[in-house]
Amino acid sequence: MAMTDFTIIRRSMLSRLFSTITTIVTVAVAVGLMLVLLSMRDAGRRAFERGSGNMHLLVSRDSSPLEAVLNGIFYAKPPQAPIRWDEYERLAAQFPLEFAIPVQQGDSYHGFPTLATTREFFEQFHPASDQRWSIAQGRLFEKEFQVVLGAGAAKETGLKLGDRIVLTHGSGGSRQGGESGGSGGGGAPHVHEQFKFEVVGILGLTGTSHDRAIFTSLNSSWILHAFDRRERAEHEQGGAEANAGHTAHDEPPITAADLTPDDKLITGIYLRVAGRPGTDATALLPSVFDTLRRDRTITVSAPSDQIRKLFGIVASINQIFLAMAAAVMVSSGIAIMLALYNSMEQRRRQIAVLRVLGCSRARIFGLVVTESALLGIIGGAAGFVLCVVGGFVVAAVMKQRLGLIVQPTYSPAVVLGVIVGTVVLASVAGLVPAVMAYRTSVAKNLKPLG
Amino acid sequence: MPDALALEISNLRYRYAGESERVVDIRSLRLAPGEQALLTGGSGSGKSTLLQLIAGLLELGGGHGEGEVRVAGTPMHSLHGAARDLFRGEHIGMIFQTFNLLGGFTAAENVMAALMFSRIPRRDHRKRAEGLLAHMGLREPGKLVDKLSVGQQQRVAVARAVACDPVLVLADEPTASLDPENAGTAIELIQQTCREKNAALLCVSHDPAMAALFPRRESLTALAGVA
Repeated sequence: MAMTDFTIIRRSMLSRLFSTITTIVTVAVAVGLMLVLLSMRDAGRRAFERGSGNMHLLVSRDSSPLEAVLNGIFYAKPPQAPIRWDEYERLAAQFPLEFAIPVQQGDSYHGFPTLATTREFFEQFHPASDQRWSIAQGRLFEKEFQVVLGAGAAKETGLKLGDRIVLTHGSGGSRQGGESGGSGGGGAPHVHEQFKFEVVGILGLTGTSHDRAIFTSLNSSWILHAFDRRERAEHEQGGAEANAGHTAHDEPPITAADLTPDDKLITGIYLRVAGRPGTDATALLPSVFDTLRRDRTITVSAPSDQIRKLFGIVASINQIFLAMAAAVMVSSGIAIMLALYNSMEQRRRQIAVLRVLGCSRARIFGLVVTESALLGIIGGAAGFVLCVVGGFVVAAVMKQRLGLIVQPTYSPAVVLGVIVGTVVLASVAGLVPAVMAYRTSVAKNLKPLG
Repeated sequence: MPDALALEISNLRYRYAGESERVVDIRSLRLAPGEQALLTGGSGSGKSTLLQLIAGLLELGGGHGEGEVRVAGTPMHSLHGAARDLFRGEHIGMIFQTFNLLGGFTAAENVMAALMFSRIPRRDHRKRAEGLLAHMGLREPGKLVDKLSVGQQQRVAVARAVACDPVLVLADEPTASLDPENAGTAIELIQQTCREKNAALLCVSHDPAMAALFPRRESLTALAGVA
């Protein structure tokens, strides 16, 4: 192979291998950090942008609209204050609505939240604006004590159609919820041991928070809680005498017909105002929103507004991180400059010899800038690898520790932008040493050195 | 220009900035194609400066100097920037006392380094470099120059100087760092190679022993013009 400019650059880099490697590592860390922050920010935003789907408003009794959205759509924790069924019916009849879907949270299975609702949840509500529900296996629940699993919940728990589970009261990460398809759980006071739910369906993946949920009918949930409440009440009034005669298993089974208005509680309502078909923005929405807001007993929130607000907060933190990453990038540029600057002292004679052999000043300049840019390219590529590996690890840890599914995806534009930016920065960093090389005096540096 | 002189210097005067004394003062010096000449002068007599002026590595302008240097008929100092660098690479070969080889590169790469700045097709470079080194008795073109003996390094330096079939070879004290026996061999090698390539040779030295080896001898003091 003939000698080329690249041969010279390669030899130069290899002759200072330690310096070259440390410089590349510095660049890689900076690029990796930048890409992780950017991709996680995008992933986070995407995760939050999906989930509210085609609902306009969320009604609940949470203390703030943001909390309502985090609880009601993203399953942060079950809302504490319930809405009575008659209140729901009154509210739903008040406006021309496309849907008003009641939801109730509070139970969980192995840390996966349960959402008790009606079939409208699957028929009218879309989990993301561009996505409807699909059923991957089985069917939707048709009667009491049947559950349908979100795709994520199904995958994580390993539950299959026909498995029977018991639910735990509360959303805590309690692992005592019971065994799939088998006997009752570990006997914790909040496990609804008496009621076994059959898995009848598994939903298709939607890429939303709902993938982690387990869905059942409102009646199932109401019966469960009515049973609990009655049992508790008996314990309180009965004292020693009652204890002697009654155990939970003697209780006649409760059916939907036994439910009283006090049992029929929900925690949220997904609302969509009626509009012309195909349009999302409806003229009615603001007035419905205002009317609902005047009712001090409920919290009404527009999920998209809340998510935008949330991102306003997150974005400013993000900017601090990005500024830090940018500072690391700049210092990696300085590292490149220093590495090449230091090498210039040793390279003056080489440059002088190349000039004697016919190399122009411009080409010498180009050699140094190219070497600099090359450090940027290799560092950038290494940074991308670092980021993919790092993102994978972070996602795995988040999934394991928090049960949060964040999929860091690398938009080609962002990756390309960061890498191009790195190469530009590296080239700029090479300018000072390149000018030094350009100005190297041939006469002075050819003096006999022995 | 087939009949052009290899080198033609007329009224060349040069002084370094801030110094009043002329370092170089030559009224006329001509070298026919293939001619070999020895230029003698004590140390500090401006020998190296003269060679750098001929090679266009020093600028004549800016009040430092005047006169004309033509290499193969081309006025060296009327060329500028990359054009002059290219012309130098293709028409002038230089040999130094300390060889000035590129450390960390192989013997063949050192020779190819001269070819990469010429218009010789790239695919011929390696063949040409290795052929030249083999012709000069160097059997290991892939060896790093740092690992070669002084005699072998000398051969690489000569091979590099003539790689582009130059019109003119400038040798600056090529034997100063060699013992007398090796010095004789080295100068013979340079002369022989230049003859084969039909390159004119201008050798500067303060070594009186060299005089016997050159048919034409010039002294810098004698060349000085009468102002």
